[in-house]
Amino acid sequence: MITVKNITKTYGRKQNAFVAIDSASFTIPDATTVAILGKSGSGKSTLMHAMSGLDRPEVGEVVIDGQDILTMKPKEVDRFRATKMSFIFQSFFVQANESCYDNVSLPLEIAKVPWAERKQKVEAALAAVQLLDKKKSRARDLSGGQKQRLAIARAIVNEPQIIFADEPTGNLDSATGAVVEDFLFNYVKERGATLIVVTHDEELANKCDARIDIKDGKISATKGLDRKAKK
Amino acid sequence: MKTTDIIRRAGRSLRQAKTRTLLTSLAIGVGAFTITLSLAGGQGGREYADAIVRSNTDVRELLVTKESEDANTIAEYTPGGPGAVPSGAGTPGGPFTRGFQFLGTSDLEVMADIENVNGVTPNYSPSVDYITTKGQKKYQASVSTFSPTVSLKYAAGGVEGDLRDDQIILAEDYASTLGFTNPADAIGKTVQIGATKQRTIFSGAEAREFTYTVAGVSSESGLAFRSQGSLLLGESAIKELYIYVSEGTASYNRFLAASVRVNEPEQAEEVKAILEEKGYTAQTSADVLGTVNTFINVLLGILLGFGALAVITSIFGIVNTQYISVLERTQQIGLMKALGMSQTDVGKLFTFEAAWIGFLGGAIGAGLAVVGGSIANPAISEALGLGDISLLIFSPLQVLGVITGLIAISIIAGILPARKASKLDPIEALRTE
Ligand SMILES: Nc1ncnc2c1ncn2[C@@H]1O[C@H](COP(=O)(O)OP(=O)(O)OP(=O)(O)O)[C@@H](O)[C@H]1O
Ligand SMILES: [Mg+2]
Repeated sequence: MITVKNITKTYGRKQNAFVAIDSASFTIPDATTVAILGKSGSGKSTLMHAMSGLDRPEVGEVVIDGQDILTMKPKEVDRFRATKMSFIFQSFFVQANESCYDNVSLPLEIAKVPWAERKQKVEAALAAVQLLDKKKSRARDLSGGQKQRLAIARAIVNEPQIIFADEPTGNLDSATGAVVEDFLFNYVKERGATLIVVTHDEELANKCDARIDIKDGKISATKGLDRKAKK
Repeated sequence: MKTTDIIRRAGRSLRQAKTRTLLTSLAIGVGAFTITLSLAGGQGGREYADAIVRSNTDVRELLVTKESEDANTIAEYTPGGPGAVPSGAGTPGGPFTRGFQFLGTSDLEVMADIENVNGVTPNYSPSVDYITTKGQKKYQASVSTFSPTVSLKYAAGGVEGDLRDDQIILAEDYASTLGFTNPADAIGKTVQIGATKQRTIFSGAEAREFTYTVAGVSSESGLAFRSQGSLLLGESAIKELYIYVSEGTASYNRFLAASVRVNEPEQAEEVKAILEEKGYTAQTSADVLGTVNTFINVLLGILLGFGALAVITSIFGIVNTQYISVLERTQQIGLMKALGMSQTDVGKLFTFEAAWIGFLGGAIGAGLAVVGGSIANPAISEALGLGDISLLIFSPLQVLGVITGLIAISIIAGILPARKASKLDPIEALRTE
């Protein structure tokens, strides 16, 4: 369960100050897929960064599994991210010069997963996105859709509880995007993980259990969060 | 992240920028090359000097001379006066020697009385006329004293311990000049040394031939001083020659120098101090070695300076390369941080990359130096006429030290870029496209 309490994020100072997130509060139950929607510049990415501890809003709390990640020490937040969360970005951020295998193995290395367990996990993740045959190819040689599938493999390899995806299909055509979405949803449903996906795409939003609409840094509407919580 | 994983990732990153890595490490390589070679040269030079001094001097022997009270003024001539420089052609003391006083019998006694002194031998240097053997011409010759403790290389024959009074050791070139077909052929044969009595030089020549049996033929060694030891006689044989040649002349029993032998090598310094207190100048074999080594060390220092300069230059190369690398990989750094890699680990990643560069440069430079030096060694020895001596001696420990040192320097050079990487804000980093 992720509880966001009253977070505010301001960029700049004094008369230049710009409130990117304005007192946002909501609760996301476990094993929920949530879409965050809003216009460009409305603060979707900023909200996502705050929820994952990458960014530190000056006010508010982000409580995950009973711990406020905003009051943790940097090392603890790092550890938290390494073991419980993962990320998927619009522009993939796969390491072009490295093999698919090494790309996927990175989160395991960061999380200090023992050597012996890695191979099996990396191969399972690659198989889940149907890239096992590309294991040794360099990431630069993959197509856009394959790159994002590789990013998904990297995101799921350490079996995170929460996946943050910032416009995962933004750079892909709709057919390829649909394939990528399927892989993502499959994993989340199978594992009972939480998916928080930032998107412009209504169709993708409709596949989710819940949605959060954001406008000029304020939460303008939420749907499906309470219902699931009551269950 | 585990250190081994960081090291592997660092190695991979470098491999992906092969040209840049190689060029940066080559700069350090130049320093490594120079430093390794100069260290090897220093080591070889010192060992060479040590070997020369050891085979030409004795650690238990001190060479004693006496400086005149006022070395800068020329002493007044007093015929036969004590301590005066004797004049006259053909005196055994050789030509007029400024600044030195001759050692007389009383001096030798003083030296012999010092504690731990085992023996005092004046430097007899009788001027002999020629050497010859049956059926051969007469050849110019000079003789010196055989020292049983100074190592000598034999082409044939040889002696254990001291030479007997009737024995002689010939240098290889004398053996062939005297008509022996090979060194072994000379062993056991007799040779004659001709000498003229100095005292009778004006009243009609009196000359004599002394006969010796060849006990050994010394081979040319890179270690031997050329001018010394062509013909070696035992101590008493040389004394006999000396008495025959010089007795009755003004310079009889006056010596330029004397060898003082102590019981144990460790006592050399102690005896030296006493001798100097008594107004003599004494040189131990360590002193001789020290003088030579000072010279070698100065040369070595200059070479090392060049190496250090190359290393300093390469530091800037490393800093530059690593900064560029951080800039290029901003996104990667952002991603790794987003995935939970700690600041420390990001810093380590770049530090290890710098270390790899240092290792590579050090290994390439030192490796080339060792390989090149080992190939060039025989040629250098040949060119300098060192015979069997190697001038470049590579010690594995030194090579290892050079590489380790360069790794350390590279790590220091990599500190600032690594810091920059570790401090990068992941959100900013991920925003850069
Ligand atoms: N480092 C920053 N300094 C100043 N302003 C910033 C900074 N980062 C973001 N902003 C501003 O905060 C607002 C929210 O940005 P954010 O990236 O969250 O938008 P977004 O909803 O993700 O937009 P998009 O759909 O285009 O990705 C924007 O107006 C942006 O200009
Ligand atoms: Mg955004």
